[in-house]
Amino acid sequence: MSGPARLVTQGLRASVEGKEILKGIDIEVAQGEIHALMGPNGSGKSTLAFTVMGHPKYEVTGGAMSFDDQDLLGLRADDRAKLGLFLCFQYPTAIPGVTTVNFLRAALRAQGKEMPAREFMKRLSDEMAALRIDESFRSRYINDGFSGGEKKRSEILQLAMLRPRLAILDETDSGLDVDALRTVAEGVMRIAGPDIGVLVITHYPRILEYLRPHVVHVMHDGRVVMSGGPDLARRIEREGYEPILGTAVPEPARV
Amino acid sequence: MTSVAGGPVAVELGPDEAAARVAASPPWLAARRRAAWDAYTALPMPSSQRDEDWRRTDISGLHLERFTPLRDVDAGLLAAMRLQRDQAAPGAAFALDAPAADLVITDADGLLAQGVIVTTLQDAASRHTELVQRALAAHTVDESKFSALWNAMWRGGVFVYVPSGVDAVAPVWIAHAASGDGAAVFPATVIVLDDAASLTVIDAYASPRGSQPLFSDAIAALTAGRDSRLDYIALQQWGEGAWHVATHRASLGANAKLRFFGATFGARLQKAYWEASLDGTGAEADIAGVCFGDGEQHLDHQSLQAHRAPETRSNLLLKVAVRDQARSVYSGLIEVAPAAVHADGYVQNRNLLLSHGAKADSVPRLEIRANDVKCGHGATAGHIDDEQRFYFMTRGVPREDADSLIVRGFMDDVIARVPHVGVANLLGTLLDSEIAGEPQSGVTEVEG
Repeated sequence: MSGPARLVTQGLRASVEGKEILKGIDIEVAQGEIHALMGPNGSGKSTLAFTVMGHPKYEVTGGAMSFDDQDLLGLRADDRAKLGLFLCFQYPTAIPGVTTVNFLRAALRAQGKEMPAREFMKRLSDEMAALRIDESFRSRYINDGFSGGEKKRSEILQLAMLRPRLAILDETDSGLDVDALRTVAEGVMRIAGPDIGVLVITHYPRILEYLRPHVVHVMHDGRVVMSGGPDLARRIEREGYEPILGTAVPEPARV
Repeated sequence: MTSVAGGPVAVELGPDEAAARVAASPPWLAARRRAAWDAYTALPMPSSQRDEDWRRTDISGLHLERFTPLRDVDAGLLAAMRLQRDQAAPGAAFALDAPAADLVITDADGLLAQGVIVTTLQDAASRHTELVQRALAAHTVDESKFSALWNAMWRGGVFVYVPSGVDAVAPVWIAHAASGDGAAVFPATVIVLDDAASLTVIDAYASPRGSQPLFSDAIAALTAGRDSRLDYIALQQWGEGAWHVATHRASLGANAKLRFFGATFGARLQKAYWEASLDGTGAEADIAGVCFGDGEQHLDHQSLQAHRAPETRSNLLLKVAVRDQARSVYSGLIEVAPAAVHADGYVQNRNLLLSHGAKADSVPRLEIRANDVKCGHGATAGHIDDEQRFYFMTRGVPREDADSLIVRGFMDDVIARVPHVGVANLLGTLLDSEIAGEPQSGVTEVEG
């Protein structure tokens, strides 16, 4: 491998049910880097996450997208995961009848990262303790009856167990109280390092105080309208989006 | 092929066979069989046009005259059924429902030492007349065409009686086996639990894999006395050429507890009645079931939770997965009699459609004639959820594996209700095979 693996999108356009949401996205995130993707509601941030991950409802209508120099277009979501992409869902779905342990086992096996049962249970125990997840969650059906905060911790637990090369965190901070936010952010920072690239999607700068992104992008109406250093996030916290975007932010339709 | 338990030859399900059954019966049973044969000849075949029970299940393709009573049980099939017992419930007594009256019961010493009776129904009809009469009282000979035929034709059968206060030391595994081309069988299970007795029964129905025509007309008569506990598991694995009509009916005395589990995998067409009559105050029935259909299977379950006394409780959950062109039909009734104050009943049926050609109908109903009761019902049918599938795939799990895990997960809570852990594991294995695309219609014969 030559250098760190990179997620690269070039002029990426995508539609949902015939409506264009992404209108040409250029973004590049390498292993070892933390990027923040900010922007008002409805700007297309989550659409970018689902499009990169390969959700069948999101149709790529133009541009290019690759990871580690491999074309992602035409790859199914499971193949993208095997390349090392991971999505922390904002609203992960419940799968009744499938326990957290069985879910993780199936994922590790599929990615060729299986480990002996004892080692698996030890690692799971350690990660759960660090994320303050109760032991009982091992045998609970995944996301079934979990609170919002429990779902977010469970997503970070999967991130920790699966160790992808690039993780997209889709509003992992939303709906968390300050303590839960710190636990989750610390969970991400324990994993962060030269082997993983992180793209953090958020409205709020608070989580960025923990994650300390190298690059901050601002997205609006399906485009990245500005990129900068950590200062940009602070400026958004101070001034809001409107002065940066130079326009009033309309109340968007939910996507 | 070797055989056990040969019997007198009969060529068809006709008057000669009926007369042979009468001749082999004690007087009370002979009278019952005569009346049953008369009822059978007088009653028309059920029809989708005339009979509400059969509205969605068409048996116009069933030609009874093409079937002949089973004579022999294939040794390889018997060995396969024994092997299931050995794996799922190694301590269980094994009782073969054989076409001849020979006693084919093994490993029952512990039960017999407790005073438990395990014998053929044929034998019990002579030696324990009153118990058998009482148990069969709930199955009148003219209640339906198939009930009449069963009453006229059953042979062998299995009878279990647990005396008052006895907690049976081992389960009883009953094997209803059939093989051959065009065989007719009349599986008979009669279980009587006296007051405060307890017992686990596994009632297994199986034929070899393959599409040979087979006709099974079965009755399981379950009587649970005051304060008794009956765990009953019916496992249906007929081959894909089988027509199966069955009534599993339990009568529960005061504070009796029934845990009933039905697993349906086999047969080209099934019509199974799962019925609990809560006759005594405080009786409870937990009924659960799993059904997996593929190919052209048509699998019909009809349930009845009859609350006839105060403070009775019942709960039913049937989970069904159908694929290819398979069809599931479910209808269920909770009936609350005026006397059944404070009855608590729930019935639900959940269906997962795995192919666009698969179909599931579901009609749960309540009929309440008492005040101050708590009753409800629910039914759903749907395909595998796209978001669940995508979630798995984002973790690297391929679509087919994701679907398998989702289907298995769908069945998980109902498998947890199987009242015997070894059998729960067996059913889990059978389900895994079904999900993997290996239908469990029929069993693979084993060298005897």
